[in-house]
Amino acid sequence: MEILAFVSFAVLVVAWLVAPSRGSVAVVSHAEDRKAA
Amino acid sequence: MPNNISAGDTAWLLASAALVMLMTPALGFFYGGLVRRKNVLATIMHSFFILCLISVQWVLWGYTLAFGPDHGGVIGGLDWLALRGVGQDPGPYAPTVPHEAYMVFQMMFAVITPALITGAFAERKRFKAFVVFTLLWATFVYDPVAHWVWGGGWLGQLGALDFAGGTVVHITSGVSALVAALVLGRRVGYGRDALEPHDATMTVLGASLLWFGWFGFNAGSAITAGGLAANAFVVTNTAAAMAALTWMTVSWLHKGAPSVLGAAAGAVAGLVAITPASGYVDVSASILIGLGAGVFCYTAIQLTKRLKVDDALDVFGVHGVGGAWGALATGIFATVAINSGAKDGLAYGNPGQLGIQAIAVAASIIYSAVMTFVILKLIDVFVGLRVPESEEVLGLDASQHREAAYQI
Repeated sequence: MEILAFVSFAVLVVAWLVAPSRGSVAVVSHAEDRKAA
Repeated sequence: MPNNISAGDTAWLLASAALVMLMTPALGFFYGGLVRRKNVLATIMHSFFILCLISVQWVLWGYTLAFGPDHGGVIGGLDWLALRGVGQDPGPYAPTVPHEAYMVFQMMFAVITPALITGAFAERKRFKAFVVFTLLWATFVYDPVAHWVWGGGWLGQLGALDFAGGTVVHITSGVSALVAALVLGRRVGYGRDALEPHDATMTVLGASLLWFGWFGFNAGSAITAGGLAANAFVVTNTAAAMAALTWMTVSWLHKGAPSVLGAAAGAVAGLVAITPASGYVDVSASILIGLGAGVFCYTAIQLTKRLKVDDALDVFGVHGVGGAWGALATGIFATVAINSGAKDGLAYGNPGQLGIQAIAVAASIIYSAVMTFVILKLIDVFVGLRVPESEEVLGLDASQHREAAYQI
């Protein structure tokens, strides 16, 4: 059980290393705020 | 009964009751941030109103139905109606605390369970229908299922393990939420307009307060202030953290960015999943339970969205699926090394426990789904479930409460 726990946490760490790291310039939509404005 | 009241146990249980009480308004903030600004007051009101309503229902008849002397394994008797005979001496469930302390701790569970469902019908349910639904659901769904598992009923007699409410709280509310979403139908503009959270910070604050209160929910369920409470505290925190990390990671890989709301939802999913297991599993198992909660609950929510079910605030995915996973995981990872009064699970050579847990899961799902459907249909006939479309477009804060959340 302990080995599985270590492995599962290690999988997350590896995933963070390979996950996309580029930012986005797209504006998150806030439809209601736009309407109110 | 000899009076063996422990000051430490009583202090811990009363403090835990207060912690669990805080969870219901915290849920109001968690849900309130996720709805549009025209519905935030109505959404918070759902939780706040339930805190008041079930506090009275529970002392009048809820507690005796759930925990009163057993009748056929199905329901408690009316011996403790209006708390007659429930006083300062210990009751049959907890020998070291006043019966009233045990009762009020259980009250807070009865309060938050119907509040969880409100996320499914947010932004479109008539307030009067919500009031009647909550009272009927608490009486005919929560109270009987609590009796089955914790009050000496048939699931408890069968040997089902549910430390703090995986079946009683989360499966019943999650499945009922799915039924409510299907019966009420989708919100106006679903699939066409952006139905976006109006205040993500409010949601993260609500999730944080839920996490804080959950220590009372799970560690308080030990009833005693000892090692079992400490273990429940540790595994609760670990599972919440692991599920938040997992959900955030999965959403990062799936959608390209680490979601803040995803981390908050993931933490709640982990708290849900560890709830039934928290008095039976060790810390390594809690990491695996948190991992499973992050993956399974995230996947379930993607599926309900793909099927265009408007479970507005993802109650089924988090509580229904998280609760079922936690209940089954208890049957896998439970060990008498943590709780000598329990049973080993599949991982420790007792596959039968997993079967018993599956029966408890199935019974909770079927009963709560059928009863919720019947209750909703009756209310639809006599009261009407949804507000008219014009009121839904205007928003429930104005149409149901004649108030506005923000003057800015």
